[in-house]
Amino acid sequence: MTQRPLELILARNLMSALSTPAFLVDEGGLLVFYNEAAGMLLGKRFEELGTVGAEEWGSLFGPFDEQGEPIPYDELPLVTAVRAGRPAHGELTVRSTDGTLHEVEVSALPIQTPHGSQGAIAVFWPAASSNGAGPA
Amino acid sequence: MKVKLWGTRGSIPAPGPETIRYGGNTSCVGVTLSDGSMLALDAGTGIRCLGLAQPDEPTRLHILLTHLHLDHIQGLVFFAPAFRPQTEIVIWGPASPEASLRDRIARYISAPLSPVEVRELPCDVSFRHCPESEWEIGSARIRAASVTHRGPTLGYRIDDGDSSLTYIPDHEPALGADLESLEEDWISGFALARDTSLLIHDGQYTDAEYPCHVGWGHSATSHALSFARRTGAERTVLFHHDPLHSDDQLDALAVESQREWVELGGDPGTLELGAERDEFELPARAAKAAAATV
Repeated sequence: MTQRPLELILARNLMSALSTPAFLVDEGGLLVFYNEAAGMLLGKRFEELGTVGAEEWGSLFGPFDEQGEPIPYDELPLVTAVRAGRPAHGELTVRSTDGTLHEVEVSALPIQTPHGSQGAIAVFWPAASSNGAGPA
Repeated sequence: MKVKLWGTRGSIPAPGPETIRYGGNTSCVGVTLSDGSMLALDAGTGIRCLGLAQPDEPTRLHILLTHLHLDHIQGLVFFAPAFRPQTEIVIWGPASPEASLRDRIARYISAPLSPVEVRELPCDVSFRHCPESEWEIGSARIRAASVTHRGPTLGYRIDDGDSSLTYIPDHEPALGADLESLEEDWISGFALARDTSLLIHDGQYTDAEYPCHVGWGHSATSHALSFARRTGAERTVLFHHDPLHSDDQLDALAVESQREWVELGGDPGTLELGAERDEFELPARAAKAAAATV
């Protein structure tokens, strides 16, 4: 068994208590957790989905850009944050399991530790262009 | 491997007639490895008596600090071997982005808090940040990992032969988490304690006291027991007793925790509350198996 870094454990614990959709990736960019609010947005709880890689994530939820084109996983704010080690922000559309599209703004922050980057956390907000509608 | 508790109290020394059996000294555990190497886990006030028990001869000692709260370093300037030129002391501890281990400890071992400075200690003392990977001291392999507490804090696992000791005296793994349902790899300190021979773990608060201390970095009894059960520790010692807990209160807590431990499926002989001067001998598993057949 590989122990998760403490900083990821604490991030998950915090996210579990938030009502804002939040996502967590590890240092390799693998999605390792999202909270209940994110599960409501996506239509699937994390416990049902489990840890997922880039391809599965893309096929399930998108996301898509303003033109409706899929955004490559490597270009997502969350992945940018963990790989470049800097904050990233973006506007995108995710698709829930029932097909509903949600326009959201995403802010992602790298989790930097004395031992280097351990992952990143992203929080979703309703996109300003969507007039604040939607469950995000 | 031989283990001796020299200080079992948390937060602040609590001497007095009401704490005489469990002890009033703060965190310190002496470990004698199978090759004779000597370790001290933390340097609370308990390390003063550990030092007095050391022979006055050239020796090398390792002090492994979990963190730098005062109840874990206060005994350093009263540690007799530190005042002997023939002693070599290696102090291990957590790294911090703020300052080196030496500089952070020197804030305590310096004026106006101390009459001596680090540079004035007669012994040969060095300071090392614990590495991320396992390292060796004498016959033991040492592993350190960050655990849930306030500020940079480590837990330690010491493997000597087939026996192991896990020491996590300040730990709040249940902060924002349900230890009974959480996956193993998401539990703070789990890998350190998994299947360990002896787990010395934070048990500062009763379950009734804990709600007033959420986020303070310590465990309620039920959290410590859940952690012990989930990790499969063979024997567990609850440690870092609250300074407000008298011997009588700790006796009552011992009875209650035994009841809860048995309800969780634990063997009643594998859980106890640590008392100052308690000793544990951790034989190699092969020897234990042979002894069990006698």
